[in-house]
Amino acid sequence: QDTYNLKFQSSDTSGTAAFEVQQDWAKHVGELSDGRITVEMLPVGSIVEYNETLDAVGAGILDGHITDSSYFTGKDAAFALIGNPVGAYSSPEELRAFFNDGGGTELYNEILAPYGVHFIGPAAQTAEAIPSKVPIDSVEDFKGVKMRAPEGMVQSAFAAAGASPVNLPQSEVFTSLDKGVISAADATTLATNDSMGLHDVAKHPIWPGFHSLPLNEVSITKATWDGMPDDLKEVLTQSVKDYAEDLATRIRARDEEVAEKLRAQGDVTIHTWSEEEKKKFRQIAQEQWQPYGERSENAQKVYEKLTTYLKSAGLL
Amino acid sequence: MLDLQSLGIGGGSVAMFGMLLVLLLTGMPLAFVTILVALIFALGWFGPMAVPIVTTRVYSFIMQYVFVSIPMFVLMASILDRSGIARDLFDAMRLVGGRIRGRVGVQTLLVAVVLAAMSGIIGGEIVLLGLLALPQMLRLGYDRRLAIGIVCAGGALGTMIPPSIVLIIYGLSASVSIAELFTASFLPGLLLAALYATYVLAIGYFRPEMAPIPTQQEQMPFADKLKLLKGLFLPLLVVVFVLGSIYGGIASVTEASAIGVVGVILSTVLRGEFSMKMMLDASMQTLRTCGMIVWIGIGATALIGVYNLMGGINFIKELLLGVSDTPIVIILVMMLILAVLGMFLDWVGIALLTIPIFAPIVKELGYDPVWFGVLFALNMQISFLSPPFGPAAFYLKSVAPPDISLGTIFRSLLPFIALQAVALVLVLLFPSLALWYR
Amino acid sequence: MAGPAGNARRIGMASGDNPREEVRDEANDTLSRLLIPLAPVFAAAFLLITAFTFYEVVMRYVFNAPTIWVHETTTALTALCFAFGGAYCLGTNRHIRVVLIYDSVSQRVRRLLDVAISLVGAAACALMAWAAWNFAYKAFFTPTGQMHLETSGSAWNPPTPAIVKAVLFLILCVMCIQFLLQAIAHLRRKPTDENRSPEQELGDA
Ligand code: NA
Ligand code: NA
Repeated sequence: QDTYNLKFQSSDTSGTAAFEVQQDWAKHVGELSDGRITVEMLPVGSIVEYNETLDAVGAGILDGHITDSSYFTGKDAAFALIGNPVGAYSSPEELRAFFNDGGGTELYNEILAPYGVHFIGPAAQTAEAIPSKVPIDSVEDFKGVKMRAPEGMVQSAFAAAGASPVNLPQSEVFTSLDKGVISAADATTLATNDSMGLHDVAKHPIWPGFHSLPLNEVSITKATWDGMPDDLKEVLTQSVKDYAEDLATRIRARDEEVAEKLRAQGDVTIHTWSEEEKKKFRQIAQEQWQPYGERSENAQKVYEKLTTYLKSAGLL
Repeated sequence: MLDLQSLGIGGGSVAMFGMLLVLLLTGMPLAFVTILVALIFALGWFGPMAVPIVTTRVYSFIMQYVFVSIPMFVLMASILDRSGIARDLFDAMRLVGGRIRGRVGVQTLLVAVVLAAMSGIIGGEIVLLGLLALPQMLRLGYDRRLAIGIVCAGGALGTMIPPSIVLIIYGLSASVSIAELFTASFLPGLLLAALYATYVLAIGYFRPEMAPIPTQQEQMPFADKLKLLKGLFLPLLVVVFVLGSIYGGIASVTEASAIGVVGVILSTVLRGEFSMKMMLDASMQTLRTCGMIVWIGIGATALIGVYNLMGGINFIKELLLGVSDTPIVIILVMMLILAVLGMFLDWVGIALLTIPIFAPIVKELGYDPVWFGVLFALNMQISFLSPPFGPAAFYLKSVAPPDISLGTIFRSLLPFIALQAVALVLVLLFPSLALWYR
Repeated sequence: MAGPAGNARRIGMASGDNPREEVRDEANDTLSRLLIPLAPVFAAAFLLITAFTFYEVVMRYVFNAPTIWVHETTTALTALCFAFGGAYCLGTNRHIRVVLIYDSVSQRVRRLLDVAISLVGAAACALMAWAAWNFAYKAFFTPTGQMHLETSGSAWNPPTPAIVKAVLFLILCVMCIQFLLQAIAHLRRKPTDENRSPEQELGDA
């Protein structure tokens, strides 16, 4: 009987809650498979940089990755649309529904196959919060706000909403917010932002988030997957479903815990947007999809599948 | 094909360090020693399919945005060096400090602290001090080793006094507040500078021949003093520009280095020294210096990628947890591992390898990760100076007078490494040195 | 490397009261000689990088209109200069080496060491260039064989990854040839010829 020792690289750093959940997933896989599969979870950057894992998994240097798919937008615009269609979903459950019920999984596997990569299943954290130094309660308030927004569609969406996007790496977000080089940032979830100390310097976070809910894909080298017996494929698929549940539940709980702490603390004001304003932003964001869809054949396929599904689900 | 995998990860780790050491001693250019070891282990452990790790990491390494500031700080140094600004600055410093022995050394440390507050990396600072302060101290008849030590140790403060890229990377990978790390490392950074200054003053007192007093400015007329003071004006303005742009929210830390270069160029225009030839000469020196120092860093990141794939992360974790049940012993072993790695690797590689392993353990043991972050930064200070792989020494070597050999530089650094160890022990024993603000 | 063809010589020193005189780089081999006229072009890029970054700060702070292109342009330019700088330092003997043992052995052994180091360096660079070829190829063609330059994926979306990956491949090839040419030159050198380490060579200039 074959056993598999798999090395997975995450796009999360080792101290984060998401990485903890991923390590638990690795253990879970071992238990579900009775030790026939062992997974070693490696934090971001340990083998290759976060935006090089697709090639590394395809070449079999890594056996898999758990990552934000939009990091590979430079290879094909389809990754932007499938990985982070800004304003499409407001919860991890909505995101997973597109993949499970809307044909997202099949389409994504079709796109990934030539790269030598197989997509096991989708997961997602909560929608990302926006740490801000200034109160922002509506789309109108974004006007002229210098905000950090890095790759792709998120940046275009904020520009369309009237903000001035500034291109800065994650490593400079803290100091730039602190010193006021930027007033707001597209960072990550409320709890993770808080653990980095962002709320010490940006006291008007927008939460719950609505602009960005990236796909957290779990993928494996295609050759490894194809050679696996069906029962182990079943184990991996099930384990990824469990991981997705676990991730959403635990990140949500952390966010709420941190929100409560911030409220009690007094000097930080959490800005929660009205449904109406969120909708306004979503509409602006969704206008960014089409130009991305036109960039490649695959992107067009994703665009069509996504809009068809969202319409049928009443989300668009 | 040689099968290194049969060594096991323990034997593999030992073989790796052994190979590094032997190859370093053959006289092979340093930049290629680590790359070669990375390639040998990629091939011998995994086969040709793992070789792309090395190339991919080289690419990712040079494409980092924060590295944009390295050439700009080197450029600033090269222009300052070619104009008369640097000389005037040190001449003007004569007015401060009177006739204390070791004064110029202490002044250099003062300049180093100001530079450290302006930049978050080392490299540029050491090059700057190597071009400016070292010739001045040598001209005054300072003991060569003392002068070299002041420049390297002082120049390394850039990652101890905020802003600091080392602390930012630590904060990001350990999920610790960067604000707290900056606040916490400030006092230990100054403590380090104070230790250096005390050492220089002590040398001046006990070994006066090593730190002579400048002779020419016994009784200076007021007009001359005023003229000297003018020399302070432009450099101070540049410092105000850079610090002002960082702390005034005008520029990010990386961008501030461009403000510095523009400020220095404007100064040369004001002094009537500006010429296109000078600009090009300074740029050429920047190319030479960066080509050398960046390729040294490249090898370390390639090596860590391969080592992690070999299972290095789990190996070090088990090594640590198996060593003792006493928490402080585990911390001490971590310090030892950092010190050993610091002898062979660039700090980026060390951070990538150890922080993901150490940070969760430190939290589990109940220690404060901010305090540990300061200890990590102090360890990296040592790693900059410790032979045989001491980036501070390499940076200085790239600009020092040619008759100063690497051996001389490393010998000069030993007392300063001892001082760094003293600071490390102090922060280990008295965590409140780092956590004073709570 | 202590090159056979001569080394970068520092004429005069920055200490003392004399104004600084410039370093003159001398190439180790034929290929490196071709790099010398290219160097000022890459060096001048540092001035551009500074100007662009300054422009970004002014546009953002004064005019409230941050650019979308400065960050990625400066990052890619810096990467290109770093890559070229490596080959340039190899061609002009600027890479640092520990000469503790090298200096204490006889000329014969030194020559052997030089040949061995150059050959090993050439092999390492060849291996990396081979890997870089696939790496660059993937940045120019999609896995289905269509030509598509890999872009950064940002709102501006320049093809900087493709450019830098291609240049990295070229530079690694250049470095491989430089090492080979140096190995040949060391082989041709008479074993009894004086060949000192760069430190000394520089010191008595
Ligand atoms: Na600093
Ligand atoms: Na060291």
